[in-house]
Amino acid sequence: MAIVFLKDDNIKVNVSSGKTMRQIAQKAGASMEFGCRVGDCITCVASVKEGMEYLTSKSPKEIKALELLEGDTQNLRLMCQCSVETSEGEIVISYSF
Amino acid sequence: MSLVEDTVTPVSGSVHFIGAFDPKIRTFDIIMKTANGSSYNSYLVRGSEGVCVMDTVKKEFSDTFFKRLELLCEYDEIRYIVLHHLEPDHSGALLELMQRAPKAKLIISGRAVMMLKGIIKEDIAFEIANTGKTISLGDKTIEFLSTPFLHWPDTMSSYLHEEKILFSGDVFGSHYYDERLFDDEVGDFSYAFKYYYDHIMRPFKQYVLQALNLYERFEIEIIAPLHGPVLRSNPQFYIQEYARWSSEAKFRKHAFSHKMVSIFYMSSYDNTHKMAEKITEGADSIDGLIASMYDLASLDESNMIDLLEESDAVIVGSPTINGDVVKPAWDLLSCMAFLESNGKIGASFGSYGWTGEAPEMLHDRMRWLKFRLPVKPIKIKLIPTDEELEACFKFGSEIGEIVMGKMVEMEI
Repeated sequence: MAIVFLKDDNIKVNVSSGKTMRQIAQKAGASMEFGCRVGDCITCVASVKEGMEYLTSKSPKEIKALELLEGDTQNLRLMCQCSVETSEGEIVISYSF
Repeated sequence: MSLVEDTVTPVSGSVHFIGAFDPKIRTFDIIMKTANGSSYNSYLVRGSEGVCVMDTVKKEFSDTFFKRLELLCEYDEIRYIVLHHLEPDHSGALLELMQRAPKAKLIISGRAVMMLKGIIKEDIAFEIANTGKTISLGDKTIEFLSTPFLHWPDTMSSYLHEEKILFSGDVFGSHYYDERLFDDEVGDFSYAFKYYYDHIMRPFKQYVLQALNLYERFEIEIIAPLHGPVLRSNPQFYIQEYARWSSEAKFRKHAFSHKMVSIFYMSSYDNTHKMAEKITEGADSIDGLIASMYDLASLDESNMIDLLEESDAVIVGSPTINGDVVKPAWDLLSCMAFLESNGKIGASFGSYGWTGEAPEMLHDRMRWLKFRLPVKPIKIKLIPTDEELEACFKFGSEIGEIVMGKMVEMEI
């Protein structure tokens, strides 16, 4: 099982590969905002502190959406657009900006 | 001074009000009462090399808007149209304005892009403004500030340097109709200013504080919001009010440093009440926090909001009556519409006779309200045994430990 650490809420979630970050955040009760849930509103943007390599790659849609934000977006992901793509390893997410 | 359609009011040397008044509106956005109406503020900024229009109006007031605009400029002088907020009460005349002023560039925030497509069902060219971007009208410079979630994701503000005017979007607005327009000339709108904050901005306090942080850099002589009076007499007063209301230092936190767990309940035969008592004892047994319980049968709704806001954890108990949660518990949770819930811990419980859906229904509602829900609901059939009351104590203490920072580990 991979580990997703939702840093801002001090929640550690053991997950299997394929789970979406939105599923994980919502089932864990994380204090993370979600809006449209389809990658349009950029509400669910979060910073990946560790483990970016364990998430699915950014789609062109997600890249385009993140470009609308200010600053360096390299470590940012939309939580409604990515899934865990590993059965081991740790992903650390922070979402309070 | 009475503003009729064939007059315009100067806000400063180069800025005029070209918005519309709506004295008849009595309910705004469904949830707000507007006893004497409101306004849809729009402003025209003139520089040596053209004009910028700041926002438009609600569509049914377009005629007034265009009449006022036409008193001040020709359409081909408009170089920029800035939309600080895309909600239809501000974007209602946008499409027509862009058709009348085809040379004008539309400026919106990055988060507004997808919303623009949802509101204006046609392709419109636009430019994105982030913090620090400026536009020039020759002798006038407008600088943009990214101030999202006040109260939609798309919101932004801007600052006219030469006149020291902050175009704040919906921030600092009031639903208050008075054609005298300026805060030092209109009637007493203080109740409307606070009411507006409580209903529109209060759920976004962290974003308010971020915006106020950005505004600190500027010398502000006038605040030009999108509703209600233009604030020119003492803009810092209004900024300080927003800072005070939005800060984390509250009544309790001024004096104490402990965290707070609130247990709200309704009870028919004292069983849910007994559960509430034990849960409260359990939570209260954890160092660093204080747990208190409240009977929803006697809690005024006006007190619910403040209690919910002050609480680090909200535990709600209801019996199940006719397969439902009792109404006062639903009323309590409805108050969350006015508050930030992110990060607030929630939980539910209740005694039941034969079906017992209420705790799960509360849990589900709290999930949609974005509470953190680290423990499953606890429910007990009819009269709790000593063992079941001990389980309630442990339920409360577990929630208390999580409030105090205990890591929650789970598998999904």
